[in-house]
Amino acid sequence: MIKIIEKIEGEAKLNFNFKENKIDFVDVEFMSTRNIENILKGKRAFDALVINPRVCGICGHAHLMATVQALESCYDNLILSDKAKIIRELTLNFELIQNHFKWFYLTLYPLFGKKQQILKATYPSQLMSKAIAVIGGQYPHTSYAIVGGVACEITEIDLIKVQHYIAQTLKFVEQNLLKVESEVFLKTEDANSLYDGDLTEILDEIKNSELLGYGKSYDRFISFGENSFFKKGKSVKTKVTHNISLVDVKESQITSSFAKNVSFKDKYYEVGPLSRAMINKTPLIIDVHKKYGDSIFSRILARIYEISQLLEHSRGLIKKIDLSQPSYIEPSIDISKLSGSGYSAVEAARGTLIHRVELESGIIKNYEIITPTQWNLSGGTRENHGVSQRAMVGLSDVKIAELVFKSFDVCSVCTTH
Amino acid sequence: MENSSLFDKLSSRLDELSNLPKLDDEVSISKLIEEKGFSRREFMTWAGAMTSMLMLPASFTPLVAQAAEIADRLPLVWLHMAECTGCSESLLRSATPSIDSLIFDYISLEYHETIMAAAGWQAEQNLHNAMQKYKGRYILMVEGGIPHAESDYFLTIGAHGKTGQESAQEACADAAAIFAIGSCSSFGGVQAAYPNPTNATALSNITNKTVINVPGCPPSESNIVGTLLHFILYGTLPALDVYNRPKWAYGLRIHDACERRGRFDAGEFVEQFGDEGAKNGYCLYKVGCKGPYTFNNCSKQKFNQGTSWPVQAGHGCMGCSEPDFWDKMGIVHEPLGDRLYHTVFGGLGADATADKIGVGILTVTAIGIAAHAAISLVKKPKE
Repeated sequence: MIKIIEKIEGEAKLNFNFKENKIDFVDVEFMSTRNIENILKGKRAFDALVINPRVCGICGHAHLMATVQALESCYDNLILSDKAKIIRELTLNFELIQNHFKWFYLTLYPLFGKKQQILKATYPSQLMSKAIAVIGGQYPHTSYAIVGGVACEITEIDLIKVQHYIAQTLKFVEQNLLKVESEVFLKTEDANSLYDGDLTEILDEIKNSELLGYGKSYDRFISFGENSFFKKGKSVKTKVTHNISLVDVKESQITSSFAKNVSFKDKYYEVGPLSRAMINKTPLIIDVHKKYGDSIFSRILARIYEISQLLEHSRGLIKKIDLSQPSYIEPSIDISKLSGSGYSAVEAARGTLIHRVELESGIIKNYEIITPTQWNLSGGTRENHGVSQRAMVGLSDVKIAELVFKSFDVCSVCTTH
Repeated sequence: MENSSLFDKLSSRLDELSNLPKLDDEVSISKLIEEKGFSRREFMTWAGAMTSMLMLPASFTPLVAQAAEIADRLPLVWLHMAECTGCSESLLRSATPSIDSLIFDYISLEYHETIMAAAGWQAEQNLHNAMQKYKGRYILMVEGGIPHAESDYFLTIGAHGKTGQESAQEACADAAAIFAIGSCSSFGGVQAAYPNPTNATALSNITNKTVINVPGCPPSESNIVGTLLHFILYGTLPALDVYNRPKWAYGLRIHDACERRGRFDAGEFVEQFGDEGAKNGYCLYKVGCKGPYTFNNCSKQKFNQGTSWPVQAGHGCMGCSEPDFWDKMGIVHEPLGDRLYHTVFGGLGADATADKIGVGILTVTAIGIAAHAAISLVKKPKE
């Protein structure tokens, strides 16, 4: 028996195969692609800065960061000022935060039979977009990050504006999502002692509908994007190692879908906020994982917890900015004379985003983009399921399977690049 | 005199629309705005800003307010084709106080794939129902280029596996007005960049009906909302430029109203990112600004509720509301000059492009820019 669900924020299709009333295999298909990697071939290196943010309007900023870092890694001795690094990290944080709000209020709410909360989704994401715009000019699709630094020359007033937007967003979080001060929430280490905001409403709904423990997969997590907050590493069950290399990340084509599979040492790993929290050993998430494993409950809590963490961390980052430092330091050689290869990994809202580039005299010979959803939605075989496939096997209700599927915060826009 | 006859015309159009049944009797936009805590004064201030954006006299503000209040008489269908969802994202961030978003929330957004709750069969049914029920009345907004013709990468949508082209054509057939939102549906977009592997093309190339283009990558939220309000007010197509862009939004070049224009006129240019000129807000032409070649109102409307825009953030305009800017406006950090790729002219130069796109004034501008740039070079040599 095959059932079909499509239009999962774009053009993904799920074919559910049932055996004795239980899902025994789910074929995940992406039916279109835009072929951005082929478009990049033969273009000048800097064209990637224009084209790649357009891979995704939902996390385009992560693509800009991944592009600029991939191009920079082609240099042997490129220097960036700390100011430029912090500014880039801030805008990326803001993009993650606003994505999490939209996912929670637009996607997750209706899955529990509740009315979509459009205004609750747009208000805080507007604030975060404005914070990006103050620094980057516009959102989505900024272009302010350039090879060698950032184009913006921000002032003290800009920083005050950004701080204001962070404060307003924190206020929204405290008044709506948590009903408790963010600082208290961040110190919480017990997953059963949450308060009564919108977050708890959804978590309670999971408990009441007896969905606790649903959506478990391999319990294998990975994260490659490193910055002052996220650590690189992998976590299998709870054993964390930080010594991992992008060399072991492999993309492979499958016949049933335009999206390529992604594996690390030939195994499928989960990416996203839950993975990041496991690798960062965040106490609350470690606790929820201990109680409910890599389930939808843990995934939702990890994503929302990250909002508070990143807001708090961003506040600290702003204090570290030294405005007297240069925004841009000219690279030692012009990119048009540069040959070599480079790569980057950044943490996007939905998980690790990887860009690999090969340049020959400043012309792109090859460009490879691996998006977070490719990790989570790799279409494995019956013998070797992908992460989301495994999480859905054994369920008897397609609606619950859809909930499990969407707990990975699927983005097919990126995936059909 | 001219204004008074226009006022009367718009007024009677709005009265006609007011008589149409509301899509939801329980909710009215004006009541909703009030419930959400906006005073009448705030609402009128917003309407005043929209009036000025639509290039109408301030005395038309009550009409624009009325248009917003009766926006729920016209159902809207929003289709996604090959795109990145950036335009929807831009729309979802329309103004706070969220009057724009309130309006968009309650104008019967009958079908919008990203923000609607329905999925799968139900979503396709919703679309079908909306198109039947409001035949000839609904406004169609399309986001994304249309992959078509001989291509291995046909976009297919929905449970019946229709191609994007089929879905778009079907929706165009009975629409009261068709708007291509963003550079993708206006001109093909990023996926249509050379070598265009999916054969992506503009919406206007697959339908015989008039398509109004609202390009930009993404267009600002105010241009999207303004397009809707304009249609409600006039009920007819706006004055369009050579690329079917509404003149009220795309009538002027970025350069014409740029906050750094004075620097350009004074020959003060940023020679390199991070230099003293960059710190002092000099003109970005020499580090690649394409503002002189780009028609849009970004310099006035800005983005994210008027927070900023690329030039304010120290990065030049990249010409995203112009056709095929991916291929024709490179290199990104250098002046347009003679560096053109994948054009029919084999990269002959800016003047050739200006001729090709049929806007002769650009040729003059290009010469003017060259003169300015030359003066500046003499005054301040690049190290």
